[in-house]
Amino acid sequence: MRSQSSFDAIIIGAGHNGLTAAAYLARAGRQVLVVEKNDWIGGAAVSRSLHPGWTYSNCSYVCSLLRREIVRDLDLPKYGLQVIPYEGGASFTPDGDYFAYYSDHHALHREMARHSPRDADAYPRYAQMILRQCRFIRPFLLRDAPDPASLRPRDLGEMAHIVRQAHGLGRKELAETLRFWTMSIGDLLDEHFESDLIKAHLAGSGIIGTGLGVYSPGTAYVLLHHYMGDIDGGIGAWGFARGGMGAISNALGAAFAAAGGTVRTGAGVAQILVKEGRVTGVALEDGTEYHAPVVASNMDVKRTFLNHVDRAALPEEFTRAVERFKIRGSSAKLNIALDRLPAFPAAPAHASFLRGDLHVSQSLWELERAYDDWKSGRWSARPYIDMLIPSQIDPTMAPPGSHMMTVFVQYAPYDLAANGQRSGQNWTDTARQALAETVLDQIAIACPDIRERIQHMEVRSPLELETEVGLTEGNIFQGELTFDQLFFNRPVPGYPGYGSPIGGLYLCGSSAHPGGGVMAAPGANAARAILRREWPRAPRKGYAA
Amino acid sequence: MSSTRTFDAIVIGGGLNGLAAAGVLARAGQSVCLLERAPHLGGMAAPDASGAPRMAHLLYNLSPTVRRDLGLGTRDWPFETVALPTVALSEDGRHVITQGATVRLADGSAHPDAAAFAALFERLTTYAALLRPLAETAPPGGAAPRLSPDRIKEIWRLGRMGLGLRRLGKPEMRRFLQILLSNAYDLILDELPDGPLAGLLAADAVRGAAAGPRAPGTVFGLLYRMGHGGGASLPRGGMAAVINAFAGAAGRAGAVIETGRGAARILTDQDRVTGVITDTGETLHTARVLSSSGARITAEMTGLAHFDIESTRRLRHIRARGTVAKINLTLDALPAIPGLPDELLAARMVIAPSASYVEDAFNPSKYREMSPNPVIEALLPGQTDPAQRGARGHALSLIVSYAPVDLAGGWDDAARDTLLRTTLKTLTRYAPGLPQLVTGAEVIPPDRIEAETGAPGGHWHHAEMSLDQLLTLRPAIGMGRYAMGPSGLYLCGASAHPGGDLMGLAGRNAALAALRGAP
Repeated sequence: MRSQSSFDAIIIGAGHNGLTAAAYLARAGRQVLVVEKNDWIGGAAVSRSLHPGWTYSNCSYVCSLLRREIVRDLDLPKYGLQVIPYEGGASFTPDGDYFAYYSDHHALHREMARHSPRDADAYPRYAQMILRQCRFIRPFLLRDAPDPASLRPRDLGEMAHIVRQAHGLGRKELAETLRFWTMSIGDLLDEHFESDLIKAHLAGSGIIGTGLGVYSPGTAYVLLHHYMGDIDGGIGAWGFARGGMGAISNALGAAFAAAGGTVRTGAGVAQILVKEGRVTGVALEDGTEYHAPVVASNMDVKRTFLNHVDRAALPEEFTRAVERFKIRGSSAKLNIALDRLPAFPAAPAHASFLRGDLHVSQSLWELERAYDDWKSGRWSARPYIDMLIPSQIDPTMAPPGSHMMTVFVQYAPYDLAANGQRSGQNWTDTARQALAETVLDQIAIACPDIRERIQHMEVRSPLELETEVGLTEGNIFQGELTFDQLFFNRPVPGYPGYGSPIGGLYLCGSSAHPGGGVMAAPGANAARAILRREWPRAPRKGYAA
Repeated sequence: MSSTRTFDAIVIGGGLNGLAAAGVLARAGQSVCLLERAPHLGGMAAPDASGAPRMAHLLYNLSPTVRRDLGLGTRDWPFETVALPTVALSEDGRHVITQGATVRLADGSAHPDAAAFAALFERLTTYAALLRPLAETAPPGGAAPRLSPDRIKEIWRLGRMGLGLRRLGKPEMRRFLQILLSNAYDLILDELPDGPLAGLLAADAVRGAAAGPRAPGTVFGLLYRMGHGGGASLPRGGMAAVINAFAGAAGRAGAVIETGRGAARILTDQDRVTGVITDTGETLHTARVLSSSGARITAEMTGLAHFDIESTRRLRHIRARGTVAKINLTLDALPAIPGLPDELLAARMVIAPSASYVEDAFNPSKYREMSPNPVIEALLPGQTDPAQRGARGHALSLIVSYAPVDLAGGWDDAARDTLLRTTLKTLTRYAPGLPQLVTGAEVIPPDRIEAETGAPGGHWHHAEMSLDQLLTLRPAIGMGRYAMGPSGLYLCGASAHPGGDLMGLAGRNAALAALRGAP
């Protein structure tokens, strides 16, 4: 391979968004280089084998939000992407009962009625409301957010589009929408349901990945953020990528390679090169320089501009806004290799819901208290856990008869408190082990024999997510999903269009609109913005949207 | 009384909003009767028998527009108000004094964050002023036809707000749109280190709310407080002077004000309001009833059968969870607060040593417990106005957060005693020896506030001022523009837009809506 040092565009970071942006640019005929600091691609959408025979989805672990337009545009199934939906899930109680969630309407109604006949009757109304909200918001995900302070025709046009869409809802539905977006998931569920267990089960999606509690206003929107995806048209359905989440990144990488792109792994960027207000390329940690008139960063906004760009090259106001950007670590992860399927004594043998997401939270109050622990710099005494055993559906994840378990844990602060100091450095091996014990105690509510099943376990605190993947504070969304950091406020006011004060320097990661969740929408939207701004005459090949 | 009386409008409740509504209606030539269940007017603003404050003790937001519409212009304003400085107390004696945008330390030295505070304060007051017109009219979103004068006026108003927003300049406009829905904690700590000054702002953002400063939307609470410049002022003559001014304006315009008589039922016929039956059994005829009770109580007085099922559902879900208790102490001597010059005992004193302290104080209230370390706003009104000193000794008026209305175990004597002891313990950290000065104490938890004033949940605003219960969404969808249920029924209390805080605008706006007779 000839060693080329000049490209049309350089993408920093081979996460799924970086690869998506790269693939779109390459398919539009650009010479694109992706540089990645790790020796593997994927960022937080990665499959790795840390114990012989087992594959972990080390970070992100389930898939739904990946935009189907992007899957189609980039032909990802051709490159090996296969998403298998799982149906249902369950919340277990310490006294040996459970609430099972089924995607089958009648089964769900029967199960809810077992806990509360009123809740069973209330559910269709709740589900319809969520679906209506999803329908409203989905079309916005692949559009740019306008800058409301701008008078450019494009921004005005997008604003007009939003006003038209909102107006089209009608007065009452618009009011419902505004209310929905500003309320807490706890209040929303309290309005509809009476069973603590059912409420706790449904509340999880409102807090996953955020530094908010179930009663914090705005968490109903976060719920939406987890419901607005689909698998093969089944809106709100979640599934496993066969081979782990790395399969998504690998398919994107293959699509990119097929379009003629180049990936350099083990190539961490030290500095983004800027000359006279325009980006000129990147300098790697080993001193190598690559040049390009366009650089798009898949890193989060803080890391990009505070660590890798000369502060003098940026307007102070912009830098201050980036410093104010809230990106808080709130979650940890356990990946466990199991010698065989653990027993779930409460559940019927071979229950279908065991193949879905399993929880042990008992009430909204318990979840809220878990949040209070986090605010004080401790991990939750009774954390929210979202655990799945994907190897039941995808046999490629573990040796025959054995299983792999992925456990998402919330809340775990990045800046852990110890000896009166709050710092990420407090995540010592001892602290991580203590966290793991807390989580295993929680898991044991559902499967008491969990500790005997463990062959190998990876414990990832927010600190590991930061150091390995590069997510500041280990925040899985590259920035809190609060009103002040969504839509035209994402990542910072005045720059909703993926650009930055530096000409040719773009963001293409989840710090940008519409945010994280392995959607790939920021990557696709960024590539579209780049093509429009930098190569207005290039053919827009391969955009279905 | 056997003769039946007929009025153009009947106002239920003689709090500030009810009085404002009665005044505006009467001045428009309507015959009005106002019914107040208690033997005295004023609702939450009513003082105790000695003239010392009982529940509300300061004015923040009394609207000049209401004053104008009641004919209480500057000339006729029958009392003066004294703008008070605020002291953010600090355990180490380095108390922080603020007045408007200025801040200094109690020993007279400069505050290290004075410039940052001034900038933040200016920004917030600018934003608040921009939002104020929204409070002075019914919230946007009426059903008026597209080219009706009302709709054109609304578009004109919103257009002017948009223009005002543009005039801020691009960076400030963007910042406004970002922080409007943000949380107070982050906004404050982005500009100031955590300490008494940050704590003071955080406490002001959530005072009266069932929320901690970290809850998204709490910046709005701060802006609401700053609508008229952000200052606290004490009326000379106490709240009685304010109530008398409002009642006088209504009375002069011919409104009949009856105390000691509450409304028992609101009568309807064919989905129209026809009158009110008082709790003394009298029937009053009218086609319009304006109620300053809570939305749900008003609906229950009317009969839920007159509301569609969607509305009753919404009424049931209005959140109004009072979290603030009032404690009135009598001291036989003035307390000594180390580090605080005597003349500043007249200030509004706030115990909220940091923003995180305020958040920590909020946490237990979520689980129906009271704060072990409460946030306190303390006032010695007699230091500014001898008329409010109380009958014996010195009245010390305390607003204590958080003490939730739904306290686990209920507000029995033991719970009230615990709250008093916790409060005194907290005060002692700043004013050693204070408990020894106490000769009398009255504890008014939210359940008592509810029992005495009818405020739902004992909540200051009759309904939580969270983003999902503001503007058109306040108190609930479909009731946002004062009219609710049967034709002729209006909400005119704090549960209606724009909320409470002794502002008077809800009553005034409702009266204007009733005069137009349009939803």
